[in-house]
Amino acid sequence: MKRTLVLLFTLVAFASLITAAEIKLDVKEHVLSNGMKILMVQKPGVPRVVCHIYYKVGSINEHPGITGLAHLHEHMMFKGTEMMGVTDYEKDDAINKKIDELINKIYREKFWKADGGEKEKIAQWQKEYDELVKAEKQYIIKDDLWTLYMKNGGTGLNASTGNETTGYYVTLPSNKVELQMLLESDRMLNAYFREFYSEKDVVMEERRLSENRPGFLFNEQVDAAFYAASPYHWSVLGWMDDLQKVTKADLIDFHNRFYVPNNAVAIYVGDLDPQNIIQMAEKYFGRIPKGPDMEPIRTYEPPQYSEKRMYGEGPAPTSLQMMFHTPQEGHPDVPALSILADVLGSGGGGGRGRFRGRERGGTGRLYKTLVEEKQMAVSVSARSRSQWYVGAFQFNATPRIDKNIQPEDLEKEIWVEIEKIMKEGVTSEEIQRAKNRFEATFIRSLASTRGLARRVGAAELHRGWRSILTDFDDIKNVTNDDIIRVTAEYFVKDNSLTAIYRRKMSRQRGRIQ
Amino acid sequence: MLAICILCVSAGLTQVQKPSDLKFPPLKYDPPNPRDFRTEFASGLRGYIQEDHSLPLFNISAIINFGDLYVPRDKQGLDSVMSETLIDGGTKTKEGTVIKERIEFLGGSLSFRADERTSTLSLSILSKDADEGLDIFFDVLMNPEFREAPLNLAKVRLIQRLRQANDQPSEILSREYERLIYGDHPLTWQPDKTTYESIAGADLKAIHAQYFFPKNIILAASGDFNKSKLKAKIDKIVANWQNKKVTIPSFSKKFPEPEPGVYFIQKSINQGYISLGHLGIEETNPDYFAVQVMNFVLGGGSFTSRIVTKVRSDEGLAYNTGSRFRYHWGYPGTFSGYVQTKSSTVGYAISLIIKEFNRIRKEPVSDDEMETAINYYLESFSNSFESPQATMSTFANLEMTGKPMDYYNTYRDKIKSVTKANVQKVANKYIRPDKAAIMIVGDFEPCNKGEDQWPGPLDKLGKVHMVKLKDPMTGKEMK
Repeated sequence: MKRTLVLLFTLVAFASLITAAEIKLDVKEHVLSNGMKILMVQKPGVPRVVCHIYYKVGSINEHPGITGLAHLHEHMMFKGTEMMGVTDYEKDDAINKKIDELINKIYREKFWKADGGEKEKIAQWQKEYDELVKAEKQYIIKDDLWTLYMKNGGTGLNASTGNETTGYYVTLPSNKVELQMLLESDRMLNAYFREFYSEKDVVMEERRLSENRPGFLFNEQVDAAFYAASPYHWSVLGWMDDLQKVTKADLIDFHNRFYVPNNAVAIYVGDLDPQNIIQMAEKYFGRIPKGPDMEPIRTYEPPQYSEKRMYGEGPAPTSLQMMFHTPQEGHPDVPALSILADVLGSGGGGGRGRFRGRERGGTGRLYKTLVEEKQMAVSVSARSRSQWYVGAFQFNATPRIDKNIQPEDLEKEIWVEIEKIMKEGVTSEEIQRAKNRFEATFIRSLASTRGLARRVGAAELHRGWRSILTDFDDIKNVTNDDIIRVTAEYFVKDNSLTAIYRRKMSRQRGRIQ
Repeated sequence: MLAICILCVSAGLTQVQKPSDLKFPPLKYDPPNPRDFRTEFASGLRGYIQEDHSLPLFNISAIINFGDLYVPRDKQGLDSVMSETLIDGGTKTKEGTVIKERIEFLGGSLSFRADERTSTLSLSILSKDADEGLDIFFDVLMNPEFREAPLNLAKVRLIQRLRQANDQPSEILSREYERLIYGDHPLTWQPDKTTYESIAGADLKAIHAQYFFPKNIILAASGDFNKSKLKAKIDKIVANWQNKKVTIPSFSKKFPEPEPGVYFIQKSINQGYISLGHLGIEETNPDYFAVQVMNFVLGGGSFTSRIVTKVRSDEGLAYNTGSRFRYHWGYPGTFSGYVQTKSSTVGYAISLIIKEFNRIRKEPVSDDEMETAINYYLESFSNSFESPQATMSTFANLEMTGKPMDYYNTYRDKIKSVTKANVQKVANKYIRPDKAAIMIVGDFEPCNKGEDQWPGPLDKLGKVHMVKLKDPMTGKEMK
């Protein structure tokens, strides 16, 4: 875990006030000499500061064999450092090394041999492992960092991993931001991964929780089919096989590669003094050596060439999904696709996961036609989601099974609406409504300190935080011609996946892992 | 490490080496006083109003003393139908679609939801459209029409949603656990296809007439406006709104004590979803603060708590585990330990949680645990007042539920005064492993078999009752 120390400190702080329409977003920026960015938004009010750190790493930085590792690593970041979570670092380290050796032997026996290895041997090693784990307990201070944050009034305490980013969150009283600086810089620099194997069990339980949500397993397959080549193919949770077999060496390698200051952004929002934050950041994060430059992912999604269709059945409601490949965020076609999604699918309900819509209401075209007028659907929604390297436009619909409507009937109806737009476009009122909604939603999003931190911090990692404002300007310039053009361009069968799912009540699950 | 520190010092940038060396400057915080925001409008309407000019937004909510608890048994689901149709069903002068389209065109958001004993109509809109928004808001609140087409559509969608009632194991568990603890009571009544179908526009109008009147409503508003001008506008709108006699129904507070033991609901999944416990306390109970501190140590303080440390961190048995007291306004709530774990470790995880129930009763908690719990409540206190709109709603709810106006002003002192002896006393009083009902949603065979650390059968934990789910469409037991 050695890194080169860069001794040059530069102090470049400047305020940047950018206005989109009447919206002001006053983000102050500072870059440390090791490349780490510090962003600050002053928001007077209660004496608290939202403190978030975002790393440019997520499940897209994994590969088969280590899927789920970005998320597992995020869990492991709470297991201490050389200073935190341990009473005697040397003694604990000695036991931990023995534990790793034993587990490596077990994994080689169990996972490398085709017949699953010799049971007795494994059982003997497992026994030795259990004893070492017991012996290690005396040196471990459980959840030391978490407790310290809570004792100091930390709220919103959490971490999350996505396809592209990983974030670590705490909100502290405004006089205690230094605690976050100390603890976060310490775990970036000195993370020490104890209790790895029991934490793998926790993450597998987390995956099982998802598996027990009706429809999850089908949707995971739908995504895997839709994203054939790019690393969006697997979910953030990863495949169970990889969770079982991933090693400590994989984890350390992952940490050293991605948890470097030049791959991180710290953002502070609340009742703060920027100069004070900068001074503390220089002290704590400034001491961490810069890491190597990061190469972006290589494999984008190749063209699909032919239509994909998937059928499944299980314990979730009968539903239809239609997905189309669209460009990545920042592409000039994305704003028109966003407006189109709003015109078609506003308030339609339904959806799943990141595409989940609002539960009811709805003035979108699809809701009006299919739910209200034709009474063929319980819910229908449209979403445009562009990510860093891929994009998807997705329709979700639930048919009126009481009227014997089938998902295929809704599929036909949605195509009718798409073709109508290809010919005539949409009305100027619909476009204006969508633009108004984007503006108001944007302003509302600025009200939440945590939401603001999340949005600005994550945007900074890829196209810079100002992209939030330029994206918003681009939305305002969308015309009907743009909408007609993108509809013709992307709503093509060969660019689509249609997934049809039917409820089947008595379903036997496969082998329990 | 050492080399780095020396270099830092030489650069004049010292940083502390360990958290205990940190010295924080003092910070004083006084919570906002509800009286500073309380406003009385015409017709006896009350509200909590705060100007906030940081963004060009106007937010207003009406909190109404009405919820699903007040709905008669043969009309169960009326609250959900009302949630779907108060806006969509239109007003005397406007169709629901006209209202929705206008609000959406303005980029606003208007929503209504009915909860257990309160309902909330909320509007958020750009402040430049505040006047128009305010008119629509009060039109919906005062003059809903519950037109037939949107009403029928809402019923169809709700009936369709009933089919999903037994899909999610977590949903089944929370519903059936309450049913077990409260028995046959308005708190646990469920709608079915017949009750939904029986709900007519006239029923909704009657309920609206019964509960939606100025003295039964408290407003919460914040945003970019002038308070006295806003008050004048609202006064004018509600000037002729008639009050009624409040007729809040009252219900029995006697609940059956379920026989301790295991209550098992069969579902073919790879984990067991578990809640174990019994009746809890009311929020007005003088022991409330001690109970909060005690439960923080037991299983409410996330990773600092005993159950999470043992079940998740030490044993890797679960992602989600802990203990909680749930509260109901006017009724004792529930207490439960909870965990979701793979089928084979269901018995083991339960045994560990019960051990923690017993430990906190027998032994005093440590000084460290006390310090963490109390400091958490004190130091995080200001977080509750971060958003002006949330603060106004908090104050409105305070008045609605009849809590004292100095509740927040005295909150920290009450937390500070909790002692280790109090904690042990309330643990003994309110955590009763001998009375615990253990409810499990899972696959019986592997759960019952267990594994090496805790081989089954489950009846080692008490008599096993197999609970049959009800068909959500008919409300009758499933075959």
